[in-house]
Amino acid sequence: MTKPFSERLALIIGIAVAVLGSLLPFIWFVLTSLKSQIQVEAIPPTWWPDGSIVFYQSAIIDHQLFNYIWNSVIVASSTTIIALTIATPAAYALARIRLHGKVWILSGLLCVAMFPQIVIAGPVWQILKHIGGLNTHWGLVLPYVTLTLPLAVWILATFFKELPHELAEAAQIDGCTTWQALYKVMLPLAAPGLFTAAILTFIYAWNEFFFALLFLTDPAKQTLPVGIALFQGEFTMPWGEIAAASVLATLPLIFLVLLFQRGIISGLSSGAVKG
Amino acid sequence: MPGFALTHLHKSFGNTSVLNDISLEASDGEFVVLLGPSGCGKSTLLRIIAGLEAQTSGSVSIGNQTVDALPPRDRDIAMVFQQYALYPHLTVRENLAFGLKVRKEPSSVIEERIGEAAELLEIHDLLDRKPKELSGGQRQRVAMGRAIVRKPKLFLFDEPLSNLDARLRASMRVELKKLHQRLGVTMVYVTHDQIEAMTLGEKIVVMDQGRILQIGTPDRIYHQPSNPFVAGFIGNPPMNLIKGTVQANHKNLEFQAGDFTLRFNARVDITPTLGSGSAILGIRPEDVGLDPPGAIHITLSGTIDLIENLGGDHIVYLVAQGQRLVARTSPDSRRRAGDSITAYLLLNKLHLFIHEQRTLLESYK
Repeated sequence: MTKPFSERLALIIGIAVAVLGSLLPFIWFVLTSLKSQIQVEAIPPTWWPDGSIVFYQSAIIDHQLFNYIWNSVIVASSTTIIALTIATPAAYALARIRLHGKVWILSGLLCVAMFPQIVIAGPVWQILKHIGGLNTHWGLVLPYVTLTLPLAVWILATFFKELPHELAEAAQIDGCTTWQALYKVMLPLAAPGLFTAAILTFIYAWNEFFFALLFLTDPAKQTLPVGIALFQGEFTMPWGEIAAASVLATLPLIFLVLLFQRGIISGLSSGAVKG
Repeated sequence: MPGFALTHLHKSFGNTSVLNDISLEASDGEFVVLLGPSGCGKSTLLRIIAGLEAQTSGSVSIGNQTVDALPPRDRDIAMVFQQYALYPHLTVRENLAFGLKVRKEPSSVIEERIGEAAELLEIHDLLDRKPKELSGGQRQRVAMGRAIVRKPKLFLFDEPLSNLDARLRASMRVELKKLHQRLGVTMVYVTHDQIEAMTLGEKIVVMDQGRILQIGTPDRIYHQPSNPFVAGFIGNPPMNLIKGTVQANHKNLEFQAGDFTLRFNARVDITPTLGSGSAILGIRPEDVGLDPPGAIHITLSGTIDLIENLGGDHIVYLVAQGQRLVARTSPDSRRRAGDSITAYLLLNKLHLFIHEQRTLLESYK
């Protein structure tokens, strides 16, 4: 039965307001990035930009934006790959194995994710100093992996739990080792979970600011959020360049989400068992 | 060569014991059915044979080999699961090939085996479909195909037909029986459905509460149940079980339930050891007649409580001399609920259980 027109209209308006509301800051940044310096400083502010790309040129050339982007790509990709490599077998074990105190392990993981960064910043800095991890990418990846693991394990464990046990058992009887059953049968079926965990981990590592600022003082190693934040000089606030850089920093994320979204096919596991 | 053998198997989960001293042997090519109510431990037993569950103690051997230390993949078995467990991301062809590919069989062998299985199960047209595009019956065939292509020493079936509707279940039952005859491989089949057990099994193992209560051919299980549980579990409607007491001495054995008394000649070898105590007298509904039979019988007078018309048969519920009885009779349109009748119990079909064990009856006095 189709809903009455008024109800559908209300729904469309509601969705439009929610989407516009969350997009508004981004839209404002896109508009700002395409303005000229005069337009940016105009009071009252002008809404429509004149389409200048000066700020993009300045951000890329003067502020070496691609250097920051490259650093972020390395850090975020490494974090995602390492975190998922560890989280996948951990989540599978937690979902499948009869284990006393499983609830405590999962709760413990959640607690790790809840630590305020400021509390662990000092100790982590000390550890990295001792092992020579300051001003290196791996020194940043290490705490990122620690902090993103709990979420990745939780997401994957939830997906593994919903897959029928019999599939892994059928694979074992068909000749697979536990590992083979995991990557030949269970992992392809948990792909939506894997993509979700990957996107969230990547976004975290891409956007993280505090640790990156603390552990990377060498401009050649700094990641995007730190790089953009340091655009500002002692007496200047280059809004235009910051807006242009932020737009460019967001594009890879949008691209990734769109790419991974194709992998998140719901109902992939339907037909495995009765239903 | 034995098909498989289980020796003194025990299994507990924490403090809960689910299997107790299970010993069972099957010869090569035998169709063994594990039958029992849900929670009796039959599926756990099957999983232990498969290696998916480890026994607490005892030993499992398949063929001539003890497999206790072997993982499922090295036991040379195939299993058909209740929920089919087809790999949803693979086509039917890939599902069938999966086990052979993992074992690195050459592709010519894989193609040949898939061809054979597809022909046997008539699933040629389905080979390029994904499981979600198949009906329940088709999925069940593919699941069987996946087991067949491997040519294992032992087939395990975990209630494979329980998700199908009644008509499909009946036809798949026939196909399974034919399949067993063609392949001649040892099969273990878990079910709670007595019709499946009786029609498929060459050897039926009746289980309850983690114990084996009787092992025997379908005929033996039906006609000579070794205890009241087996007597009541097999048969539809189930055997009439009348609870009472016995008193035995060297001369005779007397069974009494309310105002109903039966006296048997004593068997000098066993009767005096029985003493007295509670006992159960059993008789199958088809051995309770409402017309005088030719064979020796006893009579009880009573009234009809209810008649169920099954077309070919009538199931008549009676109250006779204080006992509730069920009779399976040929249809007789003159009978009505409330009618006074005489029930005839065939003497040579009586079963007496004393101390939960079947007692041989020599003759009736």
